[in-house]
Amino acid sequence: MANGTSTIDVGTEEFPALPGQEKGTLTGWIQDLVFTVDHKKLGLLYIGTAWLFFVAAGIMATLIRLQVAWPGNHVVDPATFNALFTMHGTIMIFWVAMPLIFGFANYVVPLQIGARDMAFPRLNAFSFWLTFFSGCLLMFSYVAGPSLYGASGPPQVAWFALAPLTSRAFYPGPSVDYWSLSLLVSGIGSVTGGVNVMTTIFCYRTKGMTLYRMPLFTWATLTTMFLVVVFLPPLSAAQIMLTLQRYAGAKFFEPLAGGSPILWQHFFWIFGHPEVYILVLPAFGILSEVIPVFSRKPIFGYPMMVAAIVLIGFVSAGVWAHHMFTVGLNSFSVTFFAFATLVIAIPTGLKIFNWVGTMYGGKIRYELPMLFCLAFILQFLIAGLTGVMLGVAPFDWQLNDSYFVVAHFHYVIVGGIVFGIFAGTYYWYPKAFGRMMDNRLGLWHFWLFLIGFHLTFDPQHFSGILGMPRRIYTYQPGRGWEIWNLLSTIGAFFQAAGALLFVINLFWSAWKGKEAGEDPWDAWTLEWETTSPPPDYNFETLPEVRSRRPLWDLKHPEDPDWKFE
Amino acid sequence: MQATAALTVDHLPPQPPPNVIRFGMLTFLASEAMLFGGLIGGYIVLRSGAGPGWQMPEALKNPTTMAQTFVATIMLLSSSFTLHFSEVRILRGQRGGRLLLLLTLVLGGCFLANQAHEWFSLYHEGFWFNTAGIMGSSFFVLTGFHGMHVFIGALLLLAALVRTALGLITPERHAFLDCSSLYWHFVDIVWIFLFTILYIL
Repeated sequence: MANGTSTIDVGTEEFPALPGQEKGTLTGWIQDLVFTVDHKKLGLLYIGTAWLFFVAAGIMATLIRLQVAWPGNHVVDPATFNALFTMHGTIMIFWVAMPLIFGFANYVVPLQIGARDMAFPRLNAFSFWLTFFSGCLLMFSYVAGPSLYGASGPPQVAWFALAPLTSRAFYPGPSVDYWSLSLLVSGIGSVTGGVNVMTTIFCYRTKGMTLYRMPLFTWATLTTMFLVVVFLPPLSAAQIMLTLQRYAGAKFFEPLAGGSPILWQHFFWIFGHPEVYILVLPAFGILSEVIPVFSRKPIFGYPMMVAAIVLIGFVSAGVWAHHMFTVGLNSFSVTFFAFATLVIAIPTGLKIFNWVGTMYGGKIRYELPMLFCLAFILQFLIAGLTGVMLGVAPFDWQLNDSYFVVAHFHYVIVGGIVFGIFAGTYYWYPKAFGRMMDNRLGLWHFWLFLIGFHLTFDPQHFSGILGMPRRIYTYQPGRGWEIWNLLSTIGAFFQAAGALLFVINLFWSAWKGKEAGEDPWDAWTLEWETTSPPPDYNFETLPEVRSRRPLWDLKHPEDPDWKFE
Repeated sequence: MQATAALTVDHLPPQPPPNVIRFGMLTFLASEAMLFGGLIGGYIVLRSGAGPGWQMPEALKNPTTMAQTFVATIMLLSSSFTLHFSEVRILRGQRGGRLLLLLTLVLGGCFLANQAHEWFSLYHEGFWFNTAGIMGSSFFVLTGFHGMHVFIGALLLLAALVRTALGLITPERHAFLDCSSLYWHFVDIVWIFLFTILYIL
């Protein structure tokens, strides 16, 4: 308690082995992973699951790119192609991006707020295993045998599965049910996970950690989990209605019986648009952690950053119909949703200015996490600008369902979220494994992925403006699309090479990486106060938090932050 | 003494304080509210889209059914009060708490029995998921989903009753009862909305 450090009395022994579990053997290790309720192990399990599905969905993406590489190509047959883009989209959103968000929330948030574990550790394990097995359920559609109806295999309905394509009449066989039920199960896992993280953040902050002193990653995760808890249930409701339509003969989305196919779109996008912010807010949070540490300055405009996060969260609830401009909404709705969409650009632009403001006049260290953040800022800016373009309804009427839209949302998700996740991985990897990630491999990864990303998605803006529709199987020569598609396909291979180096780096560095120590980046948030990797109980002692940068206060008692906040 | 040791409070693993559990439960109920909000929103959109063509079936409009459902509604709503007073008594260590909990369960059971009866009579009149267009679909999804929640709530309260009888729920340690009763109140509130839009409007 003297010199500002409160000591927590904890037993420091290891958790006892489970009955029948042998420590230090392979089976013991597997049992440990399966039965664990520790937030750090579950976080790594989430992230590992995500990268596993990332490889699968990445291979699908490469096949898609190969198929449209040049006119009249026949790498896969049309049905397989339809299945490929459906599975690619669904897996990337629900079993790559979501588990990554939950993995980082799981691993980092309790450490950042000085908690021993999540609020409900067993519920945490439950959420993870639901996420994992729901992904397996969807993948199982690939190997499930032909049904009585002769139609099986993976679903071919695109990731938003518009009605009435999904009704029995147009889609017999179990494919759509795999899609629908796996999303329902993963939705339950995400909601319970969201409840858990929110409760942890509100109830388990350490002494002195007020909401206003919370690290920005924790703030972003809190808002994200709020969106998960509030906007995933409408999707689950829609999946329940779809399943009843397919099995009990309900008529919700059947136009002939008075149902409304547009209702499905409303349901899907009421979830679908907040989902974008569910994914991108934690990436914003990662940037807001990494940029100050590598610019050696506190974050510029912390209160504005928090306000922007929360504002984005709220406004995201009112923009979903900008995915539906072309279905024929009335002009009031079009105006409202176009306006709300443009409003989101304000808090997002504010964040970009604040990151640049943080770097301004700082001593920037061009380490790997910072490189990915710099790329993020540029790419997310462009992604946001094309988003503003598409948010203007007449522009969207022209380019909806074209490759321009594909380019836009891949800029958001790959150029934004995936780059943010890479930054977070390079930043927190030393904490999780006690070793630094290899710098040379990391640089190769960065440059290959950066070049690959731009080579893949920049040309798609042009092919989109030239009129190339999305989800098209093949096309005739002479429309001016050839060069863009070829470049795009070449870029996909650069990205694949970069991703491969990243995966190699993950394993190699855990084995041979340089020892990291507790605080390799000279950072300021609480997770760097404990050993790397942290013990089961996370912290032996915790400083009493008196400012937003508790470790700065510890390291610089002559010039603490709390004097100025 | 040794035989009953496993069931006393002292031998249970430590739990987080109730307000954490309560917070988690309330957050979860927020997501449940959005789930029902989705279903109810869908119903409203479909119904307003159908316009004057929307006719409730005879089986639902006849006075006997209306009276029965109204009584069942009153029973479900009063079960919230009996549950509240039961909880107050159990938390204060007063007598009668378990009896009131049992009464809550009986009231909930009566509500479920009425729902089942209604479903059967509608089915025999040819009003089902697949025969009555979107109206049938929405009616059965909404009441069925709600009925399932009442059933789960009743199971939770039954477990709470058993735990109270075993001495596992005490004035000091009552998170399970807290959460079950929050859930039960939530399900009741949802029914007020459903009764309004399905039977009255």
